[in-house]
Formats: sequence, C-alpha cells, structure tokens
Amino acid sequence: MSIQLPIAGAVGAAAVEARRAGAPAWLAERRSAAWEAFTELPMPSPQRDEDWRRTDVSELRLEEYIADPGTAAAGEALLQAMSQLRLRAAPEAAFVASTRRGLRRREGTDMLDAQGVIICSLDDAAVQHPEQLRRALSTVPPEESKFLALWNALWRGGCFVYVPPGVEARVPVWAAHTAAGAGAAIFPATVAVLDDRASLTLIDVYASPAGDDDMVSVAATPLVLGEGARLDYCLLQQWGMGTWHVATHRASAGRDARLRFFGATLGARLQKAYWEVLLDGQGAEATLTGICFGDGAQHLDHQSLQDHRAPQTRSDLLLKVAVRDEARSIYGGLIEVQRRAQQSDGYVQNRNLMLSRGARASGIPRLEIKADDVRCSHGVTAGHIDNDQRFYLESRGVPRAEADRLIVRGFMQDALDRCPHQGVRELLTELLDEEIAGHPVAGVSSDEDVA
Amino acid sequence: MAVEAHELTKDYKYGFHDADISVFRTEKGLSEAVVAAISDHKHEPEWMLRFRLKALAHFQKRAMPAWGADLSGIDFDNIYYYVKPVEEQSRSWDDVPASIKETFDKLGIPEAERKFLAGVSAQYDSEVVYHNIREDLGKLGVVFGDCDTGLREHPEIFRKYFGTVIPPNDNKFAALNSAVWSGGSFVYVPAGVRVDIPLQAYFRINSDNMGQFERTLIIAEEGAYVHYIEGCTAPNYSSDSLHSAVVEIIAHKDAHVRYTTIQNWSDNVYNLVTKRAVAYQGAKVEWIDGNLGSKVTMKYPAIYLMGEHAHGEVLSAAFAGPGQHQDAGAKCIHVAPHTTSNIVSRSISKGGGRTSYRGHIKVYPKAEDVRVNVRCDALLLDEDSQSDTYPYMDVENPEVTIGHEATVSRVGEDQIFYLMSRGIPEQDATALIVNGFFEPFVKELPMEYAVELNRLLAVQMEGSVG
Repeated sequence: MSIQLPIAGAVGAAAVEARRAGAPAWLAERRSAAWEAFTELPMPSPQRDEDWRRTDVSELRLEEYIADPGTAAAGEALLQAMSQLRLRAAPEAAFVASTRRGLRRREGTDMLDAQGVIICSLDDAAVQHPEQLRRALSTVPPEESKFLALWNALWRGGCFVYVPPGVEARVPVWAAHTAAGAGAAIFPATVAVLDDRASLTLIDVYASPAGDDDMVSVAATPLVLGEGARLDYCLLQQWGMGTWHVATHRASAGRDARLRFFGATLGARLQKAYWEVLLDGQGAEATLTGICFGDGAQHLDHQSLQDHRAPQTRSDLLLKVAVRDEARSIYGGLIEVQRRAQQSDGYVQNRNLMLSRGARASGIPRLEIKADDVRCSHGVTAGHIDNDQRFYLESRGVPRAEADRLIVRGFMQDALDRCPHQGVRELLTELLDEEIAGHPVAGVSSDEDVA
Repeated sequence: MAVEAHELTKDYKYGFHDADISVFRTEKGLSEAVVAAISDHKHEPEWMLRFRLKALAHFQKRAMPAWGADLSGIDFDNIYYYVKPVEEQSRSWDDVPASIKETFDKLGIPEAERKFLAGVSAQYDSEVVYHNIREDLGKLGVVFGDCDTGLREHPEIFRKYFGTVIPPNDNKFAALNSAVWSGGSFVYVPAGVRVDIPLQAYFRINSDNMGQFERTLIIAEEGAYVHYIEGCTAPNYSSDSLHSAVVEIIAHKDAHVRYTTIQNWSDNVYNLVTKRAVAYQGAKVEWIDGNLGSKVTMKYPAIYLMGEHAHGEVLSAAFAGPGQHQDAGAKCIHVAPHTTSNIVSRSISKGGGRTSYRGHIKVYPKAEDVRVNVRCDALLLDEDSQSDTYPYMDVENPEVTIGHEATVSRVGEDQIFYLMSRGIPEQDATALIVNGFFEPFVKELPMEYAVELNRLLAVQMEGSVG
C-alpha cells in the first residue's frame, strides 16, 4: 500500500489554510466550513444526479490539481495577452486581471474611482467592504454543491465591483481570469453588487493559452442587483481545449431591476455552466442570451434557471448552439414561476445546429408553473444546414465553405445582436468566424508555459 | 379575470362498488410464496414462474424512482396482488354474474352496443370475466382474449414476444407487474388482416387495497391493422389502490396499430404504467392517451422506431383536479433512418391539481433524415394549480429536423369576454374553451368515447368559474 503525499500547492487543506491566513474571521470561518462541505459532499454522479446525467466528471480528480503554483509562475506574457484582448474589444474599460496568485492587474479605473465605484479583489473587499461582499456570497452558499463548496474554500483575487446608489458607471469593467500549465487549478471569482438605481457593464473573460493542457477551473459569479439597478453582463469562456470548467453565474434582481446576460462558450474540454437569474423583486426583468460553438471532442453543458419569485417579472432566454466533429452540447433549463409571481412572463428558446456526423445535442427545457396568470413557453429545435440554402448560395458562385460560414453566421446572428456591448459583439463575431472556418479559438495566444 | 378555485363536484360518477365477491385471493403483501401461488393457481408453465420470480427479485432490489411524482404513499405490504372474482372464464354474456353485469350497465356498456364491437373483453379485478370475439374475426385468425388464455392457447407466439419490448428490469413497476401480472389483453392480428372495428376492453378495480397488474400484448403482423381501446374507471375507496400495467405492442413491417386509453381511475389510485411499442419498417403506431382520474399517474407511452419509414404518433390529454398529479408524456426513440414522430400534449390543471408533461426524444447516430415535432400546451385554471414540462431531447445525428414547443397559460380573458359578449354565461364559456383546448385529442376518439369524455369534462368543470 502506498501512501499518497499531498502535492505541493495542490487543492487541499493546506491551500485553504494559505487563504485563511490574514483573512477576516468571518471569511476564514467560511472557507473552513466550505472545505469541510467539499470533503463531505460526493462528486456529482450521472447515475444519482439528474442534472449530471449527461455530463460525467467522475474522472476528474480535483485534489491532483495545483491551486498554488508558487512564485515561479509569473504569467506576465499571459496577462499581456488578456489585456490585448480587452484593448481589441473595449479599450475604454477598466481592467482587472487575476491568476492563481491573485489580483495581478488593476488599470484604467480612474473614471470609475471618481464616480465612487469600488473595484478591487475579493480579498480586499472582505476587509474593506465586508457587508457588500457577504451579501453577494450569501447567494452562492458552499453547502449547495461540491463545486460551489470548493470555490468558496479556494477563490483568490478576482474582481469585486460595487456601484453606489444612483451611480451609472461610465465605462465597463473588464474582469479577466487566466491560468496556464498542465495541472493548474483556478477558482475565478467575479462579484458585482449594484445598489439601487445603479448601472454597470461588466465583461467577464476566462482564457488560457491555446492547446490542450489539462487544467481545471471552478468559477462562481454572484451578481446582486438592487432596486431599479441595471446590469449588462458579458461572459466569454475561452479556456484551452484541455480545461475542465464548472461555473455558477447567479444573479438576483430586485424590484424593477434589469439584467442583460450574454454568454459566449467557445473553449474548454468540458464545461458545466449554470446561468441563473432569481427575479426577487416585483417588475424585475432579465434577458439571457448565449452562443456556443463546440468542435473536436468538446462537451459543453449549459444549465439555466429563470426563477420568478415576484409578480410581474419577465425573463427571456435564447441559446444558440452549433456543434461540429465529435462535440456534444447539453442544455438543461428551468423556468420556475412561484405562486406569488402572478402576471409573469417566461420564455426559453434553444436552437441547435448540427454540423457533422458524430456531433450530438441534447435539449431539456423544463417549466414548473405554480401561478395561473402567467405566460410561459419554450421551444427547442435541432437541425442541420439546409441543403436548399447551401444550393442557393453555391449556385450564385459562393464556394461551399463560404456558404456554410454564412449560414452558420446567419444562424447565430440574432443571438449575437443581443450582446449588449458593441466591442464584445464585434470580437465575438470575429472569433466565431474563425471557429466556423475551422480554426478553433479556444484559448489565447501566449508564450507563457505556466501562470 | 381571476378564475377562482372551487372544489370539484365531489361525486365520483362511477364511484359505486359491488359487494366483494372474490373467490380466490392471495394474502396481502408480496413474497416468493405469493408469486408462486399466483402462478400455481393459473397452472402456468415453468418458464413463466421463473420469469415472475426473477422479476420479483429485481423489483425488491430496485430503488423507487427518484424523479417524477410523489409515490411515498404506496404501501406495498398492504396490497392484494391477486384477486380472482369468478371461478371460470365466462363463455357467454348469460354466464356473467348478475352483479358484474350491473357494474357494466353502470359503466354504460349496453348489451346492444356489443353488436358493434369486435369483441368485449372486460377485466373485472384481475381476471377477464367476459370476452367475445366476433366470429368472422376468429375466422381471419385474429386472436383477442385475455393474456392468461393467450399464454395457454398460443404459447409459441406468446413466449416469442412476451417481455421483449419491456423487459422486467426496465423499471421498478414493470418488474412488479412482471412478477404478479394477471389478465389484460392478448391481441394477435395475422399478416394483411385489417380489423375494421375497434377491439375494446374495460378494466375495473373492485376490491379495496387491490392492485391491478394487467398485462397487454399486441402483435400486428406485416400489413395488419388494429385499433385497441382500453377504458378505465374504478370505484372510490378509502385507502389507496395501486394500478401498474404493462402494455407491449409489436408492429411488424407496414403494420398499423392504434391504442386508445381513457384513464379515469378514482382519485385514490396510483396509476403507474409502462407502455411501449416497437415499430418496424413502414409501420405506424399511435398512442391516444387520456388521463383524467387517479391520485397519481406516471405514464409515458413510448415508440421505438426500429425500421425505416416507421412513424410514431402520441396524442396525450391530461386533467388534474384537487389532489391529483398527472405526470404523463411520451417517448419516441428513433433508431432507424427516415423515421418520423409527432407528439401533441394538452393538459389542464384545476383546484390545486398538477399536470406534468415528461417526454423523451432520442435520435440515434445512424438515424438520419428524422423528423420530430412536439407540441405541449397547458392551461391553468386557478392560482392553486401547477403545470410542469420536462422534455428531454437527445440528438446524435445531424440530418434531423426536430422541434419542440410548449406553452403554459390560463384561459384568456379576451376569449371569455368574447363569448360572454355573445350572451354565453361565464361558466359555459370556460367549458367551451376547455373543450376546444382538448379538441385535437377528442376528435381522434371513437364517437362514444368522445361523448363520454365531453360529459366527464363537463362534470369536472362545474363550478370552475367564480
């Protein structure tokens, strides 16, 4: 019998201790409790857990990944690549970037600083703005799931944004999360708290070097919208093709708040992403839009929740998925309308485009309606490139590859149009074109080996 | 307009029950001894006993489903698994005991109607007490009897197909049925034979705490056509009853099988049914499935499209009143290329009732050129009721066209207003809208069923508008 020694810096109790050191008591306590929950909760199982039936993570050995790489891993070039991406899409944005070592960049925040918008790491927020941070963290409790427990135990750095009452942030905040190197484990954290009538555009980006290094990312993004608050949230997931990615994005929307959530899923070997909106206040409204392009052997799983908890709330989700090669897409969605949420409106649309034999798509849009004065509906389709469309374009001299590109672009267009930030929309259009042309864009260019 | 929640008219129309006249029944609860006693009582061949015991072992090992409706109220130890009401199978109507005839009269099966029926096989408790096959059908080689007789008189056909579409280990309740099954219909239609008139069977539960575990096996040979109708209605009882049937259909090349059910169990019955068909090349299978009664129903008629150009059709209607949960739906599994399926589901929840549509569409990698359409609509009649939709769709072939749509809404204020402005009272207006909502289902029923269903709906709708 061999005794396995903990790998230095690996996901484990020592990594939790490293994060407890210097943290305020409430946070240190929370991390310990989270670690305990993590060790007690079983890994999700395709046999036992309904929403994991089609996504198997039983081979993922979380404790073998490295959460703390030590000082050797600098990651300067990688951070530069992340910054370049931001300059390409949103040069005006304030830029906050984290690696496994914590917050590494905080640039272009002058204008927001002047407005009283707080932008810092979660570690700093825990000390300086504990109430706001705790308010947000309370929506992602560690005991809820194995992955949320792990995230709560091990996040580091990240991006915390607080927008005071009535303040309309003049420029977006761009939060970048990156890591590199086989065996890396990163726990991206983006937290936004918008006080009453505040507004903000937040762009959240996950990326690692192109390639198929075996990495793991466990992320959470609690977003809190006060009364009448407005949040435009853009999410770009562009991990390298070897990354396991499990993420919980959860927004709670107060009275008359409005959320526009836009997510693009391009990278990762396996993704399980929860996109959730809790419509807590009367008149709250959310649109959720996603585009997803899978190729190679990617396994991309989206789970959405539109929970109508108050009267006159509205939600509308559109997810466009294209799968090629052996890629597989899973979409599971739930619209829940609680009894008191009368006069609510919920909608889900999931469209799947199957681009090759071997590609697979599943769609499971569920409705649970407990109020009668509501309108809820959903639609799911799966289809392939229409030969008539292709023929039409080819007969007009458009080469087949170009015809297919146009058709896939056309398929994605109405979702792309719903992206709330123009620069991000243009960036995504370019990335999508590269994907369609057969150049997978999972990952960013960087010479960095480890970060 | 808020539609107020009212109690349903409490009278269960068919909630009469006769004095218990059973002549043989096993002890309460389930054991190898009970299963052996059932098999022995029926003088079954050895292989069937072994089949039953193996199924029992699986049932005992298998966990209760972790999804779907709440089944915690079932007490498996407090159920009679086999009750035989009369000694011998009746050969003619005259031999049927008077009390049972009365039951049928109350159910509205006048003797005169039998003339129009190809055969009447009425299941009373666990054993078929009466069946009658029109002579000319018999001459064509059509077999329509109860499943026990099928096993006895057509052992080769029976054994070839029995348990092949739904193996005992398919799910916990299929295992239970496989262990203790009794009665149900056996239908065999030879190649090329079209049975023009629907074959009908009425199922009844009569004894308190008695589970009914009928088993139906329908085989349509190449080019055959048959329409089988099963209607259910059960008396009211104070404690909960369990009904767990298994229905297997085999539609060979170019055969066409239509199976119509209207389930109206009394509101204390757990109705947990596995229904599955296989459709070979060019075959067509239709499930017309109505769920009005029971406390809890879990039933998802399935079609496995095994041969090219096979077609599946499921038309489902559900109504859930106070205390009821209808968890019903459909499954279409496309194994072969060029197959098509269509699912239409309509459900209404009222007075705290809950309807759930649960469906599964699967397209296997080799099944190209598949077309599927699913349409689910739900109406909520008051704020205490609930409607859920759980559609599962797994597509593993790119050459498909699949659409699924679902809506949940309430009776539109403008619809009501339109009708009322034309002098129709509010209650009638609501009933009209509800009838219109079920129209796609009702129009597929034979006339007498359509009439009965409309009558039942009218009863259910009484007092639904405040």
